Amino acid sequence: MMRLYGEKRTSLVRAFAARMRSLSEAEDLIQDLFLKVQALGDIEVEGDGSALLFRMANNLMLDRLRSQTRSSARDEGWRSLQGVSLGDEQVADTPSAEAIVDGRQRYDLMLTTLDTLPPRVARAFTLHKLDGLSHAETAAAMGISRSSVEKHVSAALKALMAKLA
Amino acid sequence: MTGSPKDIETSGLAAADIDAAVEWLVRLQGQAVSEQDWLAFDAWLTASPVHAQAYDAALAFDQRLELDVRTHGENQEAPADHLGATIVPFRRPTRRVWLWSTGGALAAAAVAGAIAWSSGSLLGTHETTYVTGVGERRTIALEDGSRVELNAASRMTVRFERGARRVKLDDAQAFFDVAKDARRPFLIQAGDTGVRVVGTQFDVRHRDGQVAVAVQRGVVEVRPKQASGKTPFRLTAGQGIAHVEGQADDAQVSTVAVEDVTGWRQGRLVYRDRPLSEIAGDLNRLFPRPVKLADEQAANMRLSGVLIVDGQDAMVDRLSNLLPVRTTTTDDAIVIRAR
Repeated sequence: MMRLYGEKRTSLVRAFAARMRSLSEAEDLIQDLFLKVQALGDIEVEGDGSALLFRMANNLMLDRLRSQTRSSARDEGWRSLQGVSLGDEQVADTPSAEAIVDGRQRYDLMLTTLDTLPPRVARAFTLHKLDGLSHAETAAAMGISRSSVEKHVSAALKALMAKLA
Repeated sequence: MTGSPKDIETSGLAAADIDAAVEWLVRLQGQAVSEQDWLAFDAWLTASPVHAQAYDAALAFDQRLELDVRTHGENQEAPADHLGATIVPFRRPTRRVWLWSTGGALAAAAVAGAIAWSSGSLLGTHETTYVTGVGERRTIALEDGSRVELNAASRMTVRFERGARRVKLDDAQAFFDVAKDARRPFLIQAGDTGVRVVGTQFDVRHRDGQVAVAVQRGVVEVRPKQASGKTPFRLTAGQGIAHVEGQADDAQVSTVAVEDVTGWRQGRLVYRDRPLSEIAGDLNRLFPRPVKLADEQAANMRLSGVLIVDGQDAMVDRLSNLLPVRTTTTDDAIVIRAR
């Protein structure tokens, strides 16, 4: 299991960075997974060990997401915006002016780009990303399937990335 | 060093790879990510270094976008000339703390690992089993918003169905803080006893063929020996019930000191006239080195008192001061006998 962990580590971090909306939290989570895997010792795994790793990481994440307050995500946001950090320690309390202006410009450009997209694509993206609804909630709000939501959000993200990245 | 995020490098990447990366990213952001999704993602990611690059670019782009939304999305009504630093509240640097990891680690916690696994079913329900090892305590946040604190050496299976939230407690003790959901009652099966709640806080202990429920807040319905079909007991805050599995009419509602029953959550074991055999059982769920009772006389001794959970030797030492017993400690067991 330890060897498999070593092989799958970066894939797991990437997958959970998407879920947790944060690379550092995903790193932290997969570090915790290491401890769990270590605690398992030399066990024989039935079936695919890689799937077991994923399940364990997924359970760890669910535990965390639910006990975490929304505000911590916000704090993280402010701190990354400030971007002036040394390891885990913030060293500046004021954000740089460029960071705010850049972000504002990107945000405005995003809104104008969204206006050029098909209405359902823009709506799904707005509900999910801007209003913070989950895929399932977005699907319910629009009366479409979850996989349609995924398609719309993907389409919007592709278009925005082409324009803004 | 400026605060603006690094530019996201996409120039060397094919549009098809970026598209695939974005689709993966969005799929992984959904709640219903399955093992198959993960295995397929892992296969795609490792198939080519270009895939990893494209994915990282999509991830970085998405995170910057979310940050922009968080920072500017809620300030749309703010006048345009307030664009500067005035919209940014002053915040002291904070360190991230995971709530569940702060719940008082036990001395022996490091030696044990909690394992949880899920299995899906075609009906859209799924079942997750949580297990804590000796000396390990764990807080579990369930998908409905309920929280369960699982005591050491416990096993619990949780199943969410359309019309009910079901929990099975095998050999276990747990404290429940159940989120209100009138349409999906929270049903606990502990041996032959059923517990039904809508939203409340309470403790259920199912050990050695006995079931005990103590209610901290709200109302809980308990049905000892469920199959007998008798009307359930309704417990309110400060009430408890105890039942020996298999017996028909032994259960009675009584007033209990709930903070004593739930003392384990704070690392305190509170006993009121309990046999040493029960205390030894509790100790054996906290530490890997077994505590053994050498004779019947010791097993039947009764104790009233509080044991702080720290080291095993210290706890046994305090026990031997509270009761007329002698203890012999070896590397692989602690033996308690009547003095």
